[in-house]
Amino acid sequence: MTRTYTPWALLAIALALAAVYLFPLYWMYVTSLKSGSEIFANPPSFWPAAPNANIYADVWARRTMSTFLWNSVIIASGVTAITVILGTGCAYVLARYRSAWIDLGLFAILMLQVLPASVMITPLFVGFNQIGLLNYPRTAVVLAAAAKAMPFFVVLVRATFMSVPRELEEAALVDGNSRVGAFFFIVLPLARNGILVCAILTFMSAFGEYIYSKSIIQSPLLQPASVGLSGFLGPNSSDWNAIMAYSAIYVTPILLVFVILQRRIVSGLTSGALK
Amino acid sequence: MAKFFNSLRDGVGFDLILVGAAMVFLLALAGLPLVYNVLMSFQQVDMFTLGQLIRPFAGISNYVAVVQQPEFWMVTRNTLVFVVGSMAGQFVLGFALAVFFAQKFPGAATIRGLFLVSWVMPGLVVGAIWSWILAGDFGVLNSILRGLGIIQSNIFWKSDPSFSIWAVIIANIWLGLAFNMLLLSVGLAAIPRDLYEAAELDGANAWQRFWTITLPMMRSTIGAVLSLGLIGTLQQFDLFPALTEGGPANTSNVAGYWSWQLSFQLYDFAKGATVSVMMFVLVLFASILYVRSTRHEVRG
Repeated sequence: MTRTYTPWALLAIALALAAVYLFPLYWMYVTSLKSGSEIFANPPSFWPAAPNANIYADVWARRTMSTFLWNSVIIASGVTAITVILGTGCAYVLARYRSAWIDLGLFAILMLQVLPASVMITPLFVGFNQIGLLNYPRTAVVLAAAAKAMPFFVVLVRATFMSVPRELEEAALVDGNSRVGAFFFIVLPLARNGILVCAILTFMSAFGEYIYSKSIIQSPLLQPASVGLSGFLGPNSSDWNAIMAYSAIYVTPILLVFVILQRRIVSGLTSGALK
Repeated sequence: MAKFFNSLRDGVGFDLILVGAAMVFLLALAGLPLVYNVLMSFQQVDMFTLGQLIRPFAGISNYVAVVQQPEFWMVTRNTLVFVVGSMAGQFVLGFALAVFFAQKFPGAATIRGLFLVSWVMPGLVVGAIWSWILAGDFGVLNSILRGLGIIQSNIFWKSDPSFSIWAVIIANIWLGLAFNMLLLSVGLAAIPRDLYEAAELDGANAWQRFWTITLPMMRSTIGAVLSLGLIGTLQQFDLFPALTEGGPANTSNVAGYWSWQLSFQLYDFAKGATVSVMMFVLVLFASILYVRSTRHEVRG
């Protein structure tokens, strides 16, 4: 008797847990729709009395979000391009062989994966300053953030390449393909989905990049959306419905992509990050 | 010469190019800066020498100066509290959720996947949302806690010196919880079912099964998750500017944010480099743990 009800009870608990966990997201959207006086109501209302979506257009224009978001897209695209182009080949070689040298390479990648951005930013900034790269601040941020993103990408994509059967590549070589040909026409197409998911993950995390942009880019015209948000955020902020509207505009595209690709992202992560 | 090009197209040369391009890039933008960082921590860096590579040698005076800063021990203590608090929260809650979602019920995998949403969100946005939830007078957490009768008066999470570091820890637990849960779920799924069935036949209850089967079988997963948690916590930066900016009076400042403040708010790059070298030593320790626990994976 109890057996048949247990799964549904568990499902109810799971939904409740998810609701508690995702409450911050709900709160972001609800707050953004409240009026300036309603956000300070005590006790707070869990549903806006008079939902007002005009604030989105208002914040978009007042905070020049189109400029900020465009810069975020440029930076994230640059980071993703460099990471995918350089990282894919590296991951392929690290997956294909097994030797002391490969172990050493993997060890170096794992070590680089753990470097905090806050450790790297001081020497990167001073170094970029010396070679004059600070005059091209967005390029500097792209280079720095790509170096940060690449190790994780390599670890994940390497797992994808490991699951491509070696026999297929060897068959192509026997049939007279060169290594280059076998790589581009056999191995890459087979690993395409895994690479694509990892590329999207890289893009999403670069889209939210903050510390390098904040430290390196001085001109508001070149700053990404994260720096734009920090401009009106601090311990004493009070403009909460505008801040939440800004945040909502910023993260909604990321959330949509995540929900659509959720299954692939989760399986990509679980196969690569830990075996 | 033809042999050389042939090797590029059809031999080891091809592999060397693929791996070499990435390695050179990483060496230039991660390896070199690291060395440069150590060099700077032994130099005298100011506005006049900022553009030079060879600067007056300062010996260990930067290290002495950093340790003598009045906030040094406060920051060290906070870093420790932040790391231990975040890791414990993420791990315990993540493990509990992973065990829960390992039960068989409709939609388990999909609902579990939803949790990962926190992981793809920009850290600064997460900080902004939590900053609003934790606000003292009008924050929703305070009114929920008051409604439940847990607290009588509002807690000023961000401006009360005894709570400020916990405000960041709460946000960081939320941020890292899902990733911990996901990795632990993978470990749980790898334990053979028949072990549990055998134990059940022998009369072991759920608690005993957890202690005698789940935990020992998960040992390497737990090692990897804990060291990844340590690394992730040391990497956390975005939440600090969004929530407390290290304040009030450095009561929520940690090494990573302090290093950034020294370099980019006080323009004392030598001290910033020194603090980040100290932190790097900590990270090195964490990564040795990580590499050790994933060694079986590395060897393939």
